[in-house]
Amino acid sequence: MQKVTISRRHFIKISSLSSGGLVIGFMLQGLPALAINEDDCEFLQPSAYLKIDKKGKVTVYVAKQESGQGVDTALPMIVAEELEVDFKDVRAEIAPYGTLKEGEHDTGGSQSVLDMYSKLRNAGAIAKTMLIAAGAKVWNIQPASCAADNGEVVNTITMQRIKYGELVCEAAKLPIPKEVTLKNPKDFKLIGKSEKRANLKEILTGKTKYGLDLKVDGMLYAVAARCPVLGGSLVKFDDTAAKKIPGVVKIISYTGTGAPMHVRPGVAVIATNTWAAIKAKTLLNITWDEGKRNTENTTALFKTFEAKAKEKPQAQVFNKGDVAKHPGKTEITASYAEPFLAHATMEPVNFVAAVKGTACEIWGGLQLPDWAANSISAACGIKKENIKVNLALMGGAFGRRLHFDFAIEAVKIAQQIDKPVKLVWERTDDTMFSPYRPANYHLLKAGINDNGKLESWQHHVLGTPIAYMTEGPDSKNAPEMDGADSGFCYDIPNISTGYTGVDFNINRGWLRSVDICVNTFPVESFIDEIAEKLKQDPLKFRLSMLENKPDFKTGEGPGSLTQSPSRVAGVLKMAADKIGWTAARKPNHFIGLATHSFIFAKSYAAHAIEIELLKPKKFRITRVVAAIDCGLVINPDGLQNQMEGGLAFALTQALKSEITINNSRVLQDGFFSYELLRYEEMPPIEIYIVNSEAEPGGVGEVGLSTVAPALCNALAAAGYRPRSLPIRNEGYSWI
Amino acid sequence: MSGFTLNINNKEYTVEAEADMPLLWVLRDLLDLTGTKYGCGVASCGACTVIMDGNAVYSCQRPVGSCVHKKITTIEGLSEDGSHPVQKAWQKAAVPQCGYCQPGQMMTAAAMLEKNKNPSDETINAEMSNNLCRCGTYHRIKNAIHLAIEEINK
Repeated sequence: MQKVTISRRHFIKISSLSSGGLVIGFMLQGLPALAINEDDCEFLQPSAYLKIDKKGKVTVYVAKQESGQGVDTALPMIVAEELEVDFKDVRAEIAPYGTLKEGEHDTGGSQSVLDMYSKLRNAGAIAKTMLIAAGAKVWNIQPASCAADNGEVVNTITMQRIKYGELVCEAAKLPIPKEVTLKNPKDFKLIGKSEKRANLKEILTGKTKYGLDLKVDGMLYAVAARCPVLGGSLVKFDDTAAKKIPGVVKIISYTGTGAPMHVRPGVAVIATNTWAAIKAKTLLNITWDEGKRNTENTTALFKTFEAKAKEKPQAQVFNKGDVAKHPGKTEITASYAEPFLAHATMEPVNFVAAVKGTACEIWGGLQLPDWAANSISAACGIKKENIKVNLALMGGAFGRRLHFDFAIEAVKIAQQIDKPVKLVWERTDDTMFSPYRPANYHLLKAGINDNGKLESWQHHVLGTPIAYMTEGPDSKNAPEMDGADSGFCYDIPNISTGYTGVDFNINRGWLRSVDICVNTFPVESFIDEIAEKLKQDPLKFRLSMLENKPDFKTGEGPGSLTQSPSRVAGVLKMAADKIGWTAARKPNHFIGLATHSFIFAKSYAAHAIEIELLKPKKFRITRVVAAIDCGLVINPDGLQNQMEGGLAFALTQALKSEITINNSRVLQDGFFSYELLRYEEMPPIEIYIVNSEAEPGGVGEVGLSTVAPALCNALAAAGYRPRSLPIRNEGYSWI
Repeated sequence: MSGFTLNINNKEYTVEAEADMPLLWVLRDLLDLTGTKYGCGVASCGACTVIMDGNAVYSCQRPVGSCVHKKITTIEGLSEDGSHPVQKAWQKAAVPQCGYCQPGQMMTAAAMLEKNKNPSDETINAEMSNNLCRCGTYHRIKNAIHLAIEEINK
């Protein structure tokens, strides 16, 4: 167990911080084996976010969960900027669970930088201010006569310098300042310059431990067989053959749960190694009661969508002007469809749990550890304060670990054996029992006036809401509407947007860019289609409804966001310009455009994609240009990586990914049937970043949503408009 | 259960295991060499790639009984300190996002370059298409492979 030594004075200082001030809610009670020693001074830790030791090494405790999005680099950069230290002297560690206020570990919605930017600047500045004060004391001068530079405090009168490390014990005795001065962003040295990923060398030498690599003393391994139909139950199982596999320790069953996580009932094999458990699982003879909802299928679901699309929407989501009074003269209608999708992280879902009496300890990747711990408590009958959470690095998440069905399962299994257990989901489990991105369908209607302008816009979104699963089928919570709701960016006088939810017996969940992918594909395809019908240039047509339009609020109150049509226009123009929209095109080459915003993360992005049509419905992507405006960029290399990866993720969805269901069972069972983009399929990409001083936005999701519509608009320009994803289903092929 | 002697990263290991246990699980569960990753178990993703007698192989498809007398290299043994040209190139190109698939990607690339210092784009495509990356770092993998080729032909 890690031992933390800390002086009492120091400890009290940290505890008292929770009473308010610039930085709120720091608590250290989550740190293990806290030893208090008045005379010990090992480091300065004015907040839970960072620590500086006597050698001047800085540890930044990263509040947000790393799964490849680069928070373990971007967040420490923010601290280092204000602290004035060389980034080489900074190491990133996961902030231990319990050291931050509730909710602060939560990681999702591209919110990490938005949530942490000010807090970490303050944290860095507080530490710097204390070190400067300590230096001033040494020289017996005013702090105002000192400066911080490159890990040292400088006496600006004599130009003497003292290293931070030599000042940490002196600084630790000082009061934590109530107010600090932040740097002028014009003086930033680190923010805005590319830094390579923290812990890069560990990754490249195989030393990095992801959740699946964790080992706890005495740990056993488990795999589980789950009820093939959601809502079913276990009748009986025969484990005679399975028990004979060497290494099998115990075979147990566990019950399922309802909302929010919908754990399926299962039979788990616990063994001394993963392989024995996998082998024994195949020998289980299980009888399930599948329940009454075991005949549902996606073909029928999409037929239901199609039929209900013509009816009045269940709920009105956004209304502007009066579509009934001002429908416009000519009507254009189109429909679009998108399937269920799985996260398919490279690291299959896994979790470690140990239960001793009424207490439990858990280890693994969780994007929402507070909700997970509360739900485990409720589902497993363990008091929340008796659950010790250890967070782990994730080999990809993309929203999968916003859910914690696997964590509840692991605890349910661990409750039945006196040793720690690592639950491993096989790839088949990972593909077949995921919380899937909802299937969705869109009916759009546009009314055009004689002057070629859009008079009305109607969008009926139909889907299988996530909230029906997390809260129950009576949920009134907003379904997946970002990009189509009151933040809709195009200025059209009369708009009516509605939603109809259809229940379906499969679990649903959040997948990277969930709403904005769902709605940008139909919106940007339809806008393009209208321009095409009106024989207008698709770029100019869009710009006529975006440029010179004022920013607006999406609503009243604290949940209200700001939409900026001019920033949507800005990225679109940049993408169009960089791809050479107005230049002559090679024979059989076609360009498609799409633009959008992810205003929840204060980011805007557009794609321009050029294809070469090789024969009808067969193409090659020759160029991809992405433009992004995410305000101030923390780490350009991280942004670049997210945009490149976002393209791959979104192309996978556009071209080939689809979860289909028959008899309430997922038909895909791994990468052979749920295919991902491969190395040779990755097209070239150029990324252009809008130079902006706006507050920093999130970049993990904004780079996805415009890929599919830009590609489809290019294919439409070539003569064949796809109306459903993946486009492979419509007979497209590519090289 | 039988005893198997394996040569991994120029070291001899003796393990007690069922003969059909894939090398992947021997490495991960029995020897704690967790740099080799489990992704699918059915030869569809390449996360578990190791080098065996000079060839990149899926360790999930190699029963331990068939691995005796073979020279096995895992990511932990590609170099002692990350100095293999492929690792250096991956570092320079700043390839990883989550990093989970990268040991497998690097083992495939290293085996390819060991056999052919100047692989054609077709060869690179064919070899690297065996390894999936959900984060989508393919661009940087491509850059890194070309950096590694430059380095080893210096």
